[in-house]
Amino acid sequence: MSNEDISGRLQAVVARHLGPPGTIHDLRQLTGGANRSTWSFDAEAGGARHRLIMQHGGVTADQATELVPQLEPEQDARLMIAAGEIGVPAPKVRAILEPGDGLGHGYVTERVEGETLGPRILRDAKFSRARSEMARQCGEILAAAHRIDLARVPFLRRQDAAAHVEAHRRIADLFGLRLPALDMALKWAAENVPKNARHTVVHGDFRLGNLIVGEDGIRCVLDWELGQSGDPMQDLGWLCIRTWRFGGAAPVGGFGSREDLYAAYERASGFPVDPAHARFWEAFGNLKWVIHCLRLGTRGIAEVGIERCAIGRRIEEPLWDFLNLIEGRD
Amino acid sequence: MPQSMPDAPTLLVAAVKYLEDELLPSLDGYHRFKTRVTVNVLNTIRRELELRGAQAEAERARLVAILGHDGEVGALSVELSERIRSGAIDLNDPVLRAHLRQSVADALAINNPKWLDG
Repeated sequence: MSNEDISGRLQAVVARHLGPPGTIHDLRQLTGGANRSTWSFDAEAGGARHRLIMQHGGVTADQATELVPQLEPEQDARLMIAAGEIGVPAPKVRAILEPGDGLGHGYVTERVEGETLGPRILRDAKFSRARSEMARQCGEILAAAHRIDLARVPFLRRQDAAAHVEAHRRIADLFGLRLPALDMALKWAAENVPKNARHTVVHGDFRLGNLIVGEDGIRCVLDWELGQSGDPMQDLGWLCIRTWRFGGAAPVGGFGSREDLYAAYERASGFPVDPAHARFWEAFGNLKWVIHCLRLGTRGIAEVGIERCAIGRRIEEPLWDFLNLIEGRD
Repeated sequence: MPQSMPDAPTLLVAAVKYLEDELLPSLDGYHRFKTRVTVNVLNTIRRELELRGAQAEAERARLVAILGHDGEVGALSVELSERIRSGAIDLNDPVLRAHLRQSVADALAINNPKWLDG
């Protein structure tokens, strides 16, 4: 589909949902996820100029697809709507694409200005005040996300810690990866699943890189497509894995302390955070990243470029972090 | 195998030198990014050629000590995986832990040596 085709089809969508004429300006494709493409554009509608994003595409299709939670675009839009209604800074959905729109599955959201690139957020002086606030903000945003009414999002797949561990073991087997360190990590995880987990909405990919940050702090939480239901501590652990610190020293995303994150989460949610429980999910987050590198790196040269092949060689990074974490060396 | 001259690591050093010193400065955007990744991949291959032989021999010796019999490194490693899965070996065994740490550190020494510093 040419840019002109996309522009014409988008105009009809915008005109129907936001008002005529829907004229599209500055349409450009942003570097996006593996399975979906993301477009930025402005549109004239109802006498105003709107800054918008379209995301469309499907789900990642490989041997692991059925084993881990992943939402269809329509579902992830409905999750963002439910999140926005209770004050979570999710993208504001303005249109959900329909088959007649000719643009596949997807949605149009308002575009939020700001920075998403981890290294810039961590190193640029203009974000210094934001950085000092972000661990607290993450705790507050996650507490709110975990309050989303599960009845509003019944399509979320429920997966507890034991099921997550088992699914990841099966994916490693499907891809034929046999590494003693990975087998040890999977067995350790299976033997150490937390007891007494709550059951809430889980974002599933809450981390630096998926946050739009301005000088004032976090403005928007992106990428809800791995949304699921389960143990809310999963989100706190994933946020802390070293991969998402982008070279920064601080444990929370390279910018904050676990103490600040946990304290803010406790204040905002009313639920205590057991550090050992959150650390289980940090350890598991490393395992999840091992499997993700495996999936990204081994789809075959015809399908993936050299940077994807290179990701396959990153499997030992989270394994090393996992070993350090369970031995208290991190 | 006949030993050709210059050896493979030397050829890779020469290729990387051209890409980094001459090609990269002339590039931006998409091709600059792709070329940087290519340089990283070539350096990974060079380190694998330089390091893996000695690593594999040491790994085999550690596996023989843990498993109590001789064998080829790949087969011994799969056997250790199976013992870990079946519970036949204690996850807290310090010899096992030391072996796993060394094996992962060896792989990082090839794939991303900087990760070991953090």
